This record gives sequence, structure tokens and C-alpha cells, in this order.
Amino acid sequence: MTTPPLVFEHVPLGRHASQPFSLEIPAHHTVAVLGDEDSGVGLLGGYALGLDRPAAGRALVFDTDVAALPEPERLAFRRRVGYLPAGEGLLQNLSLRDNVALPLRFGSGASPKEIDGRVNVMLAAVRLAGVSQLRPAQANEEERRRAALARAIAFDPGLLVLEQPFDGLTARVASELLELARGGESADGARRTIFITGQEIPPLLLRRVEHVYRLTRAGLLEPETV
Amino acid sequence: MRAATHLTAAGRDVAVRIGINQVRFTAVHAVGLVTLLSGILSFLVISQATRELGRIGATDLIGTLIVVAIVRELGPLITALVVAGRSGTAIAAELATNQVLGEVRALEGMGIDPKQYLVLPRFAGSLVSMFTLLVVFDLVAVLAGFGATSLNGMSGARYFDIVLASLGARDVWLTVLKALAFGCIVGVVPSYFGLAVRRAPTEIPIAASRAVVTAIVGIFLCSALFVALG
Repeated sequence: MTTPPLVFEHVPLGRHASQPFSLEIPAHHTVAVLGDEDSGVGLLGGYALGLDRPAAGRALVFDTDVAALPEPERLAFRRRVGYLPAGEGLLQNLSLRDNVALPLRFGSGASPKEIDGRVNVMLAAVRLAGVSQLRPAQANEEERRRAALARAIAFDPGLLVLEQPFDGLTARVASELLELARGGESADGARRTIFITGQEIPPLLLRRVEHVYRLTRAGLLEPETV
Repeated sequence: MRAATHLTAAGRDVAVRIGINQVRFTAVHAVGLVTLLSGILSFLVISQATRELGRIGATDLIGTLIVVAIVRELGPLITALVVAGRSGTAIAAELATNQVLGEVRALEGMGIDPKQYLVLPRFAGSLVSMFTLLVVFDLVAVLAGFGATSLNGMSGARYFDIVLASLGARDVWLTVLKALAFGCIVGVVPSYFGLAVRRAPTEIPIAASRAVVTAIVGIFLCSALFVALG
């Protein structure tokens, strides 16, 4: 049996939580954990990537506690995980194109020509080729989200952590982005494992998400009724 | 330093581009202001000194005044204050904005060291800019001194003779050391305060203000240290 790419072990969430949060994200599955702001659902992405350290418990990515790694190793390890933060986190002084290229420029040994080629492919895949020179402030929300997704999958990671990826998007666009994030199909399901956190998910997407959980204020994880 | 050595080739290109941009903003855009301040300061001081020292027949001391007071002491100090006031504020505000908008967190999430992408180019840009502006300041100060002494009847040949006679190797390396030390302060202090901001936009002006005040205090303390050790 394949090791789950992402595991949360007894991580306390939210002020009102009566029990710690534990969950395994199976390989090649798309899993969404939804909840109100009070539930602490917004903390999960940071814990998964080792950006924040939980007060207790741990988050394991590919069997590694990222938060416990020394800084250089931690940064290098994160390149194995795609991350779309809440609010996109695009750098405002760079064009959408340069935002997508940034992780490749800093995290790969590829030549500028190779990086340009890869960025062109990615921009075409997320349908941003025509507006790639815009700065984030000049682009609309959909374009920014497309750029942030392209940046998240720049290294073609096996695991994607998406925070509020579909907020403010139409169901059609959200569905298209989810398909891009899944990266096609493999024999076991989606090519990538996807972990989504947020408050809501468009109903149209539910058939493409294998597990949807609702995190209550008390910290209880309940399977969402589809 | 470690951040610089871990850069990939493409990452280095990006960092160099940001550094050049920093030099453009910090040095090139400040040349006019530094020229104006240096010219006025030197002209006023040397005009008065030429008249007063002329009365007691000690105009040779103008060389010492130009070299020690203006080139070695006031030049680095005023240039550093200009750079801290203009660019220190901008660096702190920019990095604080990056922090508030979640860009720093996103960089870390992508496996990019914010020190490599945000701090290192600004640090290098501040060093280069400080050094360049100091050269501009000192050249303009010497030329303005020439203008002031000419108006008071001293020949150009004599002026440059007494200035060059007063200028020693120690003055040059002390000035260079000060430029590097002040450049470090202006590069590091605002970056620290900018990145120390958490998530509230109201922290941005506070960070900018603290950064400049701390940098100015640091520059004065460092200047005093140079005098004490020199």
C-alpha cells in the first residue's frame, strides 16, 4: 500500500476545538477540508508545508516532518509540494509570467532558455499566454488564480496544497482549474494528490473530489454529505 | 553571505536585476539631491573659512578642512542620511508590504529563501549606492570648495595644491570603510524592520519609521566609533 503523501497527526486547531485534528490524504486522491474561519481550517496548509509549526502533533509530507527540517533542507523540500496560498501570494512587482517563472529560476538548475520554454507551456496550459505580461494588479481574479496555479505546479509536484482555490470563481472556471491541478489521470486516480482547504467548494466540483470533510468549530471532522 | 552562495544561475540573474534596480533608485535618483547638499555645504563652509582664515594668514588649513571635515566626516554622514531617509524608508515599506500581502509566505511556500530574493539584492544595491553617492558627494564638495575659494581670490592651482597635500591614504580608506559600514546599516536595518511586520497594514508606516530612526542612530553611532578608533 502506498504511503499517504500528507498526514496530519493530532494537530490542535482552533480555540474551541475539543479534540486534535488527524487525517491521512491518500495518494492520487483529491481531498477537501472545509470549515468556517473559527474552525482553524486555514492553518492546515501552513502546517503541511512547515510554514507554521503546530503547538502539538505534526504534519508529515511524504513521511517527512517539514517543520522539523533545518532551513535550507526545508526550503528545498517544499519544491516537491505545490502550494497555492489563500490570496494567491503573487508578487505585485512582477508580471504574471515572471511570477510563474520565479520558482523555476530560484529552485531549478535549468538554463534561462529551458525555463522560458517551460513557462510558455505552463502559461498556455492555464490559458494565460495572451495576458502574461500583466502585473497582478492589472489582472482579474480569475487570471491571478490561473497564474498562482501555474506557479504551484511549476515543478510538477506529486502533492498540491490549495488554500481557498475556488473562492470568487465561477463553477466552470473552478472545474477547469481543478482538472489542471489534478494533472490528468493515472491508474490509481488523479496524477497528483490534492489537498484543498477553504470555506466552501462549488457543488459542480464535488464529483471530482474523492473526499470532502467538514471541520466543525469543535474540531470534529465530518464527511460532507454530497 | 550563505544566501548568495546557494543561488542558482537563473536566480542570480534575477537577484542582479533587482540589485541594479535598487542602485537605480537609491543612487541614480539621488545624485541630484546629494550634489545639491554637498555643493551648498562645501560652498558655505569653505567661503566662510577662506575669509576667516585669510585674516590670520592660515588659508592652508582649508585643505585640512575640506579633507577631514567634509570629505572624511560630513560626506559619509550626510550621504548615509540621504540614503537612509530615501531608500531606507522605501526598503522597509516595500518589504513590509510584501509581508502583509502574503508574498513572503508564498516565497517560502515555493521553496524560495526570502533573504535571497528580497534582502540580498537590496543589501548589495545599498552598498554600491552608498559608495557611488559618497564619491559624487566628495567630488562635488571639492569642486564647490574650489568655487568658494576662487570667489575669495585664491588661485585654483593653490587650492588644489593644499587639498592634495592634506589628503592621505588613511583618509581614503577611512572614507571607503565608512561607505561600506553605512551601506550595510542602510541595507540591513530597513530589511529587518520590513520583514518583522506580521499581517496588519497599519504596521507598514510604523516599520518604515522605526527602520529610518534606527538606521540614523546606527549611522551616528558608527560614525562616532570610527572617530574613536581612528
